[in-house]
Amino acid sequence: MKKLSLFIISALATLTACEDKIDLDIAPGKSYPVLDAWITNEAAPQTIKFTMSVPFTDNNPAPIINDASITLYDLTNGKSYPFAFKENAYTYDATSSPIGIVDHAYKLHVEYKGEIFEAYDTLKRVPQIDSITLKFKKKEEAMSGKEGYYATMHARDIEGGPTDYYWIRSYRTDTTRRLRDAFSIDGSYDEGVSDGAVFIVPIAESITDFDKPFQPNEKVIVKLKSVTKRSHEFLTQVDQQVNAGGLFAKVLENVKSNVDNTTPSGKTKILGWFGTSGVSRSEKPVK
Amino acid sequence: MLMTLLVLILAMGPTRAQQQRFTVSGYVKDKQNGESLVGISIGKPGTSVGTVTNQYGFYSLTLPAGEHELQFSYMGYAPVKTTVSLHSNKTLDIRLESSSSQLSEITVSGQKQEKAVNTLNTSINRLDIAQMKKLPTFMGEVDVIRSIQTLPGVTTVGEGSSGFNVRGGNSDENLILLDEAPVYNSSHMLGFFSVFNPDAVKSLNLIKGGFPAEYGGRTSSVLDIRMKDGNNQNFNVNGGIGNIFSRLSVEGPLVKDKSSFIVAARRSYIDILMKPFVKGDMKDTKLNFYDLTAKANYKFDKNNTLFVSGYFGRDKFGLGKDIDMNWGNTTATLRWNHVFSNRLFLNLTTYYSKYDYSLNFSNGSKKQEDELLQGYKWTSNIINYGLKPSFTYYLNTNNILHFGVQGIYYTFRPGTGSSVEGDKHRLKELTEKHALESAVYIDHEWKPTKKFGIQYGGRLSAYQLLGKGTAYYFNDTTPGIRRTLIGSKAYGANELIKGYYYFEPRLSARYAINDEHAVKVAYSRTTQFMHQLSNTASPTPLDIWTPSTNNIEPALSDQYTVGYFYNSPNDSYEFSAEAFYKTTDHQLDYIDNANLQLNQLIEADLLPSQTRAYGIELYAKKNIGKTTGWISYTLSRSERKTPGISLDEWFLNRYDRTHNFNLVLTHEFTKRHSLSANWVYASGTPGTYADNRLQFQDWDIPYNSTEKRNNYRLPAFHRLDLSFTLKGKQLKRWKGEWVFSLYNVYARRNAYSIYFKQNEDDPNKRESVRLSIIGSIIPGITYNFKF
Repeated sequence: MKKLSLFIISALATLTACEDKIDLDIAPGKSYPVLDAWITNEAAPQTIKFTMSVPFTDNNPAPIINDASITLYDLTNGKSYPFAFKENAYTYDATSSPIGIVDHAYKLHVEYKGEIFEAYDTLKRVPQIDSITLKFKKKEEAMSGKEGYYATMHARDIEGGPTDYYWIRSYRTDTTRRLRDAFSIDGSYDEGVSDGAVFIVPIAESITDFDKPFQPNEKVIVKLKSVTKRSHEFLTQVDQQVNAGGLFAKVLENVKSNVDNTTPSGKTKILGWFGTSGVSRSEKPVK
Repeated sequence: MLMTLLVLILAMGPTRAQQQRFTVSGYVKDKQNGESLVGISIGKPGTSVGTVTNQYGFYSLTLPAGEHELQFSYMGYAPVKTTVSLHSNKTLDIRLESSSSQLSEITVSGQKQEKAVNTLNTSINRLDIAQMKKLPTFMGEVDVIRSIQTLPGVTTVGEGSSGFNVRGGNSDENLILLDEAPVYNSSHMLGFFSVFNPDAVKSLNLIKGGFPAEYGGRTSSVLDIRMKDGNNQNFNVNGGIGNIFSRLSVEGPLVKDKSSFIVAARRSYIDILMKPFVKGDMKDTKLNFYDLTAKANYKFDKNNTLFVSGYFGRDKFGLGKDIDMNWGNTTATLRWNHVFSNRLFLNLTTYYSKYDYSLNFSNGSKKQEDELLQGYKWTSNIINYGLKPSFTYYLNTNNILHFGVQGIYYTFRPGTGSSVEGDKHRLKELTEKHALESAVYIDHEWKPTKKFGIQYGGRLSAYQLLGKGTAYYFNDTTPGIRRTLIGSKAYGANELIKGYYYFEPRLSARYAINDEHAVKVAYSRTTQFMHQLSNTASPTPLDIWTPSTNNIEPALSDQYTVGYFYNSPNDSYEFSAEAFYKTTDHQLDYIDNANLQLNQLIEADLLPSQTRAYGIELYAKKNIGKTTGWISYTLSRSERKTPGISLDEWFLNRYDRTHNFNLVLTHEFTKRHSLSANWVYASGTPGTYADNRLQFQDWDIPYNSTEKRNNYRLPAFHRLDLSFTLKGKQLKRWKGEWVFSLYNVYARRNAYSIYFKQNEDDPNKRESVRLSIIGSIIPGITYNFKF
């Protein structure tokens, strides 16, 4: 809520502000292994990426680590899922039988350079997306001054039970690249104010890139994902760090990792996150 | 203990009189408009005997019986000489006439000018509105906060940021007083304009160190802004029309010589100007601020004057009818000046101050028939009520006592969130917090010889966090990680939850080498019980204030200052050099990814840190001639150390600037034409740079593998501003002037921050980006009038 407000308020400052790409002379830092593991209940291949971090403005793809051994354990039903390295990533084909089950706890086990790493998460419940609606706005009607279709996601938080945390990611036409990300607690921004509520307007309308609204023949795709409180904290920290511009930007801080080295006197540190999500997907073609 | 001291000093006062002595006292006012004059020197020419008027224009001078020639003088006013024959206590009110031009050289005899070289205190900068008006402006508007940023020891995080930093302190460590009521947010439109209407401001004092015992509650500085009393001779209308906002003020007598008022208002109008050009979602966009400042006074008799003043200001920002945000300060002050005897003066102030904001989202206006009404609202406020009787006792020409008590009662409402959906309402309210801050103080101004003077005293401060409320207890964990709750205890209304008590010694001393040169030293201890929670680059209008609790210890600061002061014999030049060293314990810092909003357990995310700052400040000023102005230079360092952050090592504060240079020049070509220039140069502020990126879920996350905070410095900041004033021909009553200003003349893109992101068009490209809040030259034009 506050973040959104600040975003809007600081838009005011952009009347006079300008941004320039600059070159900085930054001493090369230490490179760390980065685990990118997000397991869902979707009937689709599940992929885990394991790379090395690189200098920020280095535009080469991050070097891939191919010699790790990764296994996912469902701690609730005792099943295990080995992830095999194939084409730049570690994958498990869950197309016919999804891995993720609501309320199950998971452990990710990674063996790398002779040390063992573990991370835990629980897969939470997720509501359906009821619909996506589109509204055409002319150039002069839109706040951003861009003509096109502006989308709204209609969904309702699950009432009762524990607080629900969500990650909403939208895509344009296909899911190869993220478009927008939004995060929510019980359909709003704060705990304890919106249990069972319809997702509030600023979140529901956040799935469009206002600078490039949807155009005819494109498709709006939205994934509403349940996340744990810990994952929600991690993701909102990531969001603040990747959108750090503006008058009220958060200062740079390092995102946390939930991947622990369990080898006694283990020396390697792995960055990144292991998360699990229940996913609701909805799409709407623009005619 | 203080009381014992008081009794002792009071007892020794009269017995010291060798021969019969009498007191002459009264008020000094401006002849044209009846404004009380502060800091006017009253002296016996050819001797060192003398005094100065206090904040309310009152003076008291005790002299041996007999005839005395007294001279009343102040820069910019024609001096008045008068002879009093003292055979009993006497009241003498004086009116001074302002000399028509600042160009005229006023030579003042007598030793007691309110000049830095003569006062006991170090580290005080005084500006009156006439000086502020000479500075080049931003968009044509005179601005209180911008003007103090040209003084040594004062910096900001960057353009457009709210607040200011004094001697390496955080912006929440400044006590900003408007007619003695604290103001919590000093900015309009983020940080571009300050909330103080220059038409209603008389003068300001910025105290950076060597605090008199009267002031407490903040560890870095006191910005004491005094409003005009209002003209008690004639009606006046003042106004200005500019490209951002317009001003209008009316002042005049209610009862001539006895009572006057001033009402001043401002409103910005970007949104109104924008209206014809916007459609659709942008229609009904609100983007404005306004403020209203008013004051009235009534002089009942020579011993009793009552003042009432108030401020109400608001910033509004809304998009369409669906998003509505607003915030602002409200203050009210009631003051009674009472003269008990010619030697005992009382000012009794009571005040109310409130800062609040409200954010509101709803689909009310564009809702379809079948759609649900939906809304979300968030509000927060801080309210305080204060009472402070302060006494000045003029024992004799060499001894003055200042003493009094102070009490402030606070109510914090950190946040209330509510949502509406159809006819369903939900509410989450963080519990209110209450606190009482009280103090008793005394200080003694003692000038045993012409060369040596000392002001020493102390302040006993008490802080009590009171019920109704809940105290939370957390376990100790690795520093830098959220602490976990282990227990809580509920307290009833007005029950003491946690108390803190401090003795704060204060001391300033001056030794005059001769009439032109003086050296001074000062020490002061200060405490702070309120903290603004902000972990962004600059504080936002939505950052809440929180009181000290059982988990948050009050900040405690010690500052040492030494200074050298020079004043040229004819007053045309002054120079000062000061060095300071300051340490503060229990400053607030935050764990990474702290949750500062609508969080009942916010204390679990706060960290105590230790700060230190030191530096040298040089200041040279030319007062007389066609060209006037000043140069200030500060060399300083401001650092902190927080367990759990930056490898537990000392790191630079976000507002640290090694060099800070300001040049302010005004040249009067003729009486009607003048040009002002301001050039500022400052080292870039520190920043944390990313040396790595993590590829994660299509994001490129910046990462700093050194884990050292503020390990780089932004490029240096510099900027030139110019302003040209053209005064209209003097008509019978109408006075008009045009002010043309250019801000950022050579259009430098000063870095506000540097951040790291993916290229918007090609996400496979990553870049470092410099954000400049002002990236071009900004012209301004204002027409000011007075009749």
